[in-house]
Amino acid sequence: MAEETTAIETVTCTIDGMEMTVPKGTRIIDAAAMAGIDAPHYCYHPGLSSPAQCRMCLVEVEKVPKLVPACTGQVADGNVIRTQSENALKAREGVLEFYMVNHPLDCPVCDQAGECKLQDYISAEGPAMGRLKEPKRVLGRDDFGGDVLFYADRCVMCTRCVRFMREVAQDERLGVVQRGSRNVIDTFFDEGLDGNLWADNIVDICPVGALVSKDFLHKARAWDLDRTPSVCPNCTQGCNIRLETRDNQVMRIKPRPNEEVNSHWMCDFGRLNYQWINRGGRIEAPLVRDASGRLSPVSWSEALTKLADALRGSRAGAKAVVSPFMANEDIGALRRVMEQVGGGSGVFRVETGEEVTLPGFPSLKLRTDRAANVHGAEAFGFTRTGDADGNGGIADLSSFDGTLFVLGDELADVDATFGASAGLFVYVGHFLAPAARNAHFVLPATTFAEMEGTFTNVQRRVQRFWPALQVPGMARPAWQILGVLLAGIGDEGAPGTAADAFHALGSVRPEFGTLQWADLGAGGALLPQPAAVGAGTQG
Amino acid sequence: MSGHASAAEQTDPTSWPTAVANPGYAGDTGEFPQLTEDDIRGLTYVGLRPRDGGHASVAGTLPYQVAEKRPADPIFVGEYEERLVKVLSRYPDRQAALLPALHIAQEIRGHLSAETMDEVAERLQLPPAYVRGVATFYTMYNLGQVGKYLIQVCTNISCNLCGGDAVFEAFLDATGADAGAVSDNGLWTVMEVECLGACGFPTVVQINDRFFENVRPEDVPAILARLT
Ligand code: SF4
Ligand code: SF4
Ligand code: FES
Ligand code: FES
Repeated sequence: MAEETTAIETVTCTIDGMEMTVPKGTRIIDAAAMAGIDAPHYCYHPGLSSPAQCRMCLVEVEKVPKLVPACTGQVADGNVIRTQSENALKAREGVLEFYMVNHPLDCPVCDQAGECKLQDYISAEGPAMGRLKEPKRVLGRDDFGGDVLFYADRCVMCTRCVRFMREVAQDERLGVVQRGSRNVIDTFFDEGLDGNLWADNIVDICPVGALVSKDFLHKARAWDLDRTPSVCPNCTQGCNIRLETRDNQVMRIKPRPNEEVNSHWMCDFGRLNYQWINRGGRIEAPLVRDASGRLSPVSWSEALTKLADALRGSRAGAKAVVSPFMANEDIGALRRVMEQVGGGSGVFRVETGEEVTLPGFPSLKLRTDRAANVHGAEAFGFTRTGDADGNGGIADLSSFDGTLFVLGDELADVDATFGASAGLFVYVGHFLAPAARNAHFVLPATTFAEMEGTFTNVQRRVQRFWPALQVPGMARPAWQILGVLLAGIGDEGAPGTAADAFHALGSVRPEFGTLQWADLGAGGALLPQPAAVGAGTQG
Repeated sequence: MSGHASAAEQTDPTSWPTAVANPGYAGDTGEFPQLTEDDIRGLTYVGLRPRDGGHASVAGTLPYQVAEKRPADPIFVGEYEERLVKVLSRYPDRQAALLPALHIAQEIRGHLSAETMDEVAERLQLPPAYVRGVATFYTMYNLGQVGKYLIQVCTNISCNLCGGDAVFEAFLDATGADAGAVSDNGLWTVMEVECLGACGFPTVVQINDRFFENVRPEDVPAILARLT
């Protein structure tokens, strides 16, 4: 690599009395953000071009006769910028009054209320009274196709949606039609957004309630939602997301910016595929098969003591089926349990589908493998099996007579004899699936939404997620269940936290040992390539 | 200004007035050697301004508001394709050629339907939604069918002060058409427009590519009679 010979050119400016040095060419709005000042804006979006369309970001720059739109104006050396000067505030107040000329007072029924930029700015610096006496225009709403509904009255014409479709989705299906007061966002007649996998992103970036999600429509109010940072579980891209929950249910999924993985975007497939996280019918207590052959609920200590007894001394080898929806910690802990009982092979099955790229940010794709942790499962030596629907591939397990583990996989396609001949059949999962009917131990695990842990994505980036939902009954993270079990059959302590469980992974896969939990942060960290790592690992 | 033509000058009262060379013409048809000035400016020019006859004036630059409309004709074939290719060669990108391309389409078909916009979009390789955005921005494109005669009555300030509204009403009454709609006999579409850029002669009415100046409500029947 060439040596850095020249330092980046910088300019020094003062923003609201704060002196700061920024790289040359920085836009005022970005410089203000660096100083912790949130200049009001509608049309500016960090992932899109800036047309200086909305005039909401006007700021005063000393010695510049006119107010400058902060989203396009660049900082020059010696600029003295005031975002809160009398002139700037007066201009923005005028802009806001203008916006309110036709904007409906829909907030009580508007999906955006509570996270609406118009509400925010009006309450922060809007005029106390509008002067308009005429009735407001009424434009009604329009079904844009896909998951998107358009409320024309609420639109502030920022054109973020049009620019997203043009620049990022590169499938220009939205345009500004008509002009002046008749301006409206529309599609090309009846050709809507149907079939574009990225269209729901325009709902996220619409600063007001003009574009809303049909799926979320009138389902919850923004201020009733709890938001938890997480990772989309629906494909190996691992988009950074927020799980937005209420009443212990996921209400919607929104992308969380991460320039390395998904920029500001995510696909509709992942976004709308959350109902399974809310599914009921969970296993709520550890079940152990008693002498009469019935599965009966017992305490955790009893279940794990019995299981440890059954496993201790077992050296016959094991087989396992894991789900690629389980965390690295879960799958790694199972690998360690298997090593303790004499090693063995494991498989995972995953549903696959067509890969779809986001043209404006091509490293973001809806990936073929529709589960988050395929690469984690592979790193821990589990191999892919089954067909494109995630079925089949485990016929040989029906007659297996050693120790059989199932972790997370519901095994929807197996018949009643599955696991019947196993010497010991341990089912760690979420639902009382038919596959568990022959199990000796059925242990309730949490889903990714109820626990802390990490997934490994297609770039081999290890990313953390956080618990968003309450755990049903006595369910525990699988890494905890298996960790306690390991302590019972081995000689190490049980992991107390997800961080402990994560650090224990280094002992099964050295590349995991190179990462520190604290370094993962909110954006994740890359695993080194597994150059010197043993067999069982696939790319 | 030559004033109104006398009745004697108009040999055939049912035809447009005779063409005379346009003294104010400053254009250059060099890029389109096969197009005559007549092709570009329309057939008659400033100089003869019969109130009920119409003259080409400004409207001469808008040859695409024509009486003959062929909604089913192809738009980019033959000489029209040649024109489009020339137009394309004038601009650095295809976006810029969109306006003239839409003019060509409207000149042939009389209005820009969704299908027409689609064809233009395809020919210029632009997204249909973009074409629609542009076509709806400019009022000179007809987005729906118009009659054989598109009657645009200026009701902007100068014309309004001189009775533009009454002239507009008179056209509606005389044609029996609703504002903006095609009359039952397919001949007329009457609409209000903003300033036609001839404020010195209110009320100004543009019918297809011709201007009618100083129009008063009582002139309306004669104007319509001359057209049919
Ligand atoms: S967009 Fe904002 S201001 Fe407008 S109705 Fe919705 S919540 Fe209220
Ligand atoms: S619909 Fe929303 S994103 Fe699109 S222009 Fe209107 S306010 Fe902006
Ligand atoms: S954000 Fe600057 S003009 Fe819209
Ligand atoms: S106001 Fe009628 S032509 Fe200008």
